[in-house]
Amino acid sequence: MLSYPTVRTSLIFTAIALVGLLFADIAITAANPWKDLGRFFLGVVTPDFFSTQGLATALLRTVAFAFVGVALGSVCGFLLALVYRAYPVRIFCAFIRAIHELFWALIFLQFFGFHPLTGVLAIAIPYSGIFAKVYSEILEEADPEPGRLLPPGTGVISAFLYARIPDCWVQIRTYTAYRLECGLRSSAILGFVGLPTLGFYLESAFSQGHYSDAGAMLILFYVLIATLPLWVKPKLLPVYILGAPFFLGDGMPIVWGNVTRFFTEDIVPSPLKNEEGWAGMGTWLGDVFVNQALPGIWNTVILTQIALVATGLIALLAFPLISTHFGGPIRRTSGHVFLVILRSTPEYILAYILLQLWGPSMLPAVVALALHNGGIIGHLIGRQSSSIALRPDAPTGLNRYTYELVPRVYRSFLAFLFYRWEIIMRETAILGILGIYTLGFYVDSAIQNIQFDKAMLLILITASLNIGVDILGRFIRRKLALQTMPTC
Amino acid sequence: MLLNLIRKLAAASLLVFIASATASAQTLVFTAIPDEDETKLVERFKGIADYLSGELDVDVRYIPVKSYAAAISAFRNNQVQLAWFGGLSGVQARELVPGSEAIAQGVEDTAFYSHIIAHKSTGLDEMENLSDELRDKTFTFGSKGSTSGRLIPEYYIREAFGESPEDVFARVGFSGNHTRTLRLVEAGTYDVGAINFSVWDKEMENNNIDTDAVKVIWTTPSYPNYQWTIRGDVNERFGEGFSQRVQEALLAMDDPALLESFPRSGFIPVSNDAYDPIRVVGKQIGIID
Amino acid sequence: MSGFDLTGLSASFGGERVIGPLSLSVKAGEKVALVGRSGAGKSTLIRLVYQEVESLASLVPQDLGLVNALPVFHNVYMGRLDAHPTWYNVLTLMRPFAKDNREVKDLLSELAMPEKVWIPAASLSGGQRQRVAIARALYRKSGLLLADEPVSALDGPMAHQIMRLLKERFQTSVIALHDVELALEYCTRIVGIQDGQVALDEPSEKLTPADIMPLY
Repeated sequence: MLSYPTVRTSLIFTAIALVGLLFADIAITAANPWKDLGRFFLGVVTPDFFSTQGLATALLRTVAFAFVGVALGSVCGFLLALVYRAYPVRIFCAFIRAIHELFWALIFLQFFGFHPLTGVLAIAIPYSGIFAKVYSEILEEADPEPGRLLPPGTGVISAFLYARIPDCWVQIRTYTAYRLECGLRSSAILGFVGLPTLGFYLESAFSQGHYSDAGAMLILFYVLIATLPLWVKPKLLPVYILGAPFFLGDGMPIVWGNVTRFFTEDIVPSPLKNEEGWAGMGTWLGDVFVNQALPGIWNTVILTQIALVATGLIALLAFPLISTHFGGPIRRTSGHVFLVILRSTPEYILAYILLQLWGPSMLPAVVALALHNGGIIGHLIGRQSSSIALRPDAPTGLNRYTYELVPRVYRSFLAFLFYRWEIIMRETAILGILGIYTLGFYVDSAIQNIQFDKAMLLILITASLNIGVDILGRFIRRKLALQTMPTC
Repeated sequence: MLLNLIRKLAAASLLVFIASATASAQTLVFTAIPDEDETKLVERFKGIADYLSGELDVDVRYIPVKSYAAAISAFRNNQVQLAWFGGLSGVQARELVPGSEAIAQGVEDTAFYSHIIAHKSTGLDEMENLSDELRDKTFTFGSKGSTSGRLIPEYYIREAFGESPEDVFARVGFSGNHTRTLRLVEAGTYDVGAINFSVWDKEMENNNIDTDAVKVIWTTPSYPNYQWTIRGDVNERFGEGFSQRVQEALLAMDDPALLESFPRSGFIPVSNDAYDPIRVVGKQIGIID
Repeated sequence: MSGFDLTGLSASFGGERVIGPLSLSVKAGEKVALVGRSGAGKSTLIRLVYQEVESLASLVPQDLGLVNALPVFHNVYMGRLDAHPTWYNVLTLMRPFAKDNREVKDLLSELAMPEKVWIPAASLSGGQRQRVAIARALYRKSGLLLADEPVSALDGPMAHQIMRLLKERFQTSVIALHDVELALEYCTRIVGIQDGQVALDEPSEKLTPADIMPLY
């Protein structure tokens, strides 16, 4: 077995995660974690839909921000995809998608304040980068032959519309619809930094222990996502997209002077602003690196590696839940519901809930990341395993799992896992806002201290780290010859 | 297909901007640092909004924010013109908005203090000075930007131990606000925490504290804290003497229910200078550049 | 002007020469059949010629190059995208103009598939797909046809019907064919390709199937 590169790679990553565990801060610090967890589940089964004023409005805003943000992001992403071959465009897109929606929101909050544009751009910008990459991959895979056959002298736009787009259209549509689901999750968590979406109320309900209110919100959110295919129809899409901007809320007016100030003063490193020259700059940079960036990077990397392996374990354990090779229809349906719930809960919300219940440590973050991402990957490879035709006398039970199925899905399992590596790291960094000492913690602290120069520097460092992991992940995928379509 | 998308985009972006232009210019908007549970804040400040609106003859609107920094940013960005700040956030805000003035503080805010509270399982008892018994306990502040929940306690911890809190304690967290600090220490999630006396007293009065589980073990010396701060340019926008009228309205507030919600016994005038000690401490700890 | 005179045609694949260097000169009015074993380089030669004469020729490649998601109408219409301004093409994509609609439909009637005009190319059979590619070439209305096994998926009578149509509509043509009888019947000149070189080049009236067989 050790001669397989995929097995060796898996073992190396597992070993790294195990070593990481030695350094990681894993603990349950709450005195009564199980009592609180019980109260939470009691809240979920006794939801109170009417106690929170404005819950309907919050849901409406969540949907509106998702629609406007994803629509804007997909249009910009599409235009960028057309010129994606240019190296600067690639770098630009990698950069904007390496910064998490919440970081973008925190940046825009500083000069747009509580204006709808803050939420819209926080979704649209990183999504543009992701759309650009995926759209360009889809366009690139399209058959070039029809384009070659066009009569010379055909206009560029005509050629593009006739020979390129039609065969990609279904894939583009499917992916965009899928991103809309991601957009709903992103939109919901923007509430945690103060935008008027679901997260705003969820945070309040949770922090005050109103678990029935929180349960009601979560249930509504699942229903919203689960019924997506029912209410998002191609014909209704223009209605939604045209209507959504009206439901973003008023917020506060934009003062454009603030924008100028942010870019010309706030984010200029303080030694330069105070004219302490390059010597002062050195001290400043050294201080940020040693006291914030390095501990942040260390914790982020450790947590990411542990969460990555935990994600893999959950995915491997969970995929039989929906595989047609195991269990009857009832078990599969409940498995489906379970995985959809895991998938639909943003890891940020999951981590937040677990932190409230178990107290602060890396454990809630690891569990949240593993459950959410493991749910997604488990769902994908579970579906894939169902399409495998087994010989009639194939073994059953554990033997079927280990001998027939896992070897067959292992490569795509690894492909998905390495694809999500960068996504897990991006989320790990952002979980710092909740109080785990990853990079997000230091970014949030700098913002709380109104030190935007430090915050920007740390965000840039976070982005570079993500880009680095993205490159490494792609390198490993290429090296092991793993192919995959993107997931969010 | 493509044309459709372009049309949608153009319409959508236009609408966003139209929506942005419709907010009224003649509304006084204010906010407050989220130092307590949100429902309490909303209840309290809706009352204040109604009161001020009646006294000042302008629309007054309260917007809740999720963090201390968001309150400061909104004030700095002129999206709110008036704010109920803590000592530290007030200093930070006024530094960022030249011309802004602290106009009123609560009677209790002239000599405010913070408690260090501990869970019973720690076995800690009231102490004269912060002592080595606290070492290697887990500790939670309130919000990162809080005066009474972070700045002052951190200052005294550094003074007593000569080290940063991260080095003194096994784990340092930021609960977010005072109510949550109380709940976390009460539940034993953290051994020890820092909370302001005003929240502690109010919760005590309402019988919201399990005194078997948590108790005060140390109290800081007094310092100036919360105040109303108003932007300097409100007079241009709302008319000459507006700032003064807001101050008078705040000082004249005597509705016991309103005052009780803070809880303060009344408001008195204050000036920016009163908060110099806070600025000095903030600089020492490195929260203020 | 639909003939051409090309010299020094050659192509390599993976460092190995697959065809040429060779010369091919075709006069206006000639109907040339390229015959030879599969892999002899016929398709490559068609490609090479197309690259040289691009704007003059209509091409029917072996893999047809249809846009699967578009209906038959648009696949045919694409043969003349260059004849219309962009806005016209965009509108046509959403809703074709009556004039083009009629023209394409008439063309499809001649190919015995008028009822398929709004069916996506993806759901057509192999023979139908081949006829759509031919319709596209016909619609282009150039004088020169370059086709690579255009009737390979059609049954006997249909193959003859199509070959007749191609002979009639294009002044000049170069068609790769593996069916020797069709080649002799509908072409005026037979060019045999073997190992990337011209091994035979005679008017078809001088040849019998037996003369061509050695090439296979």
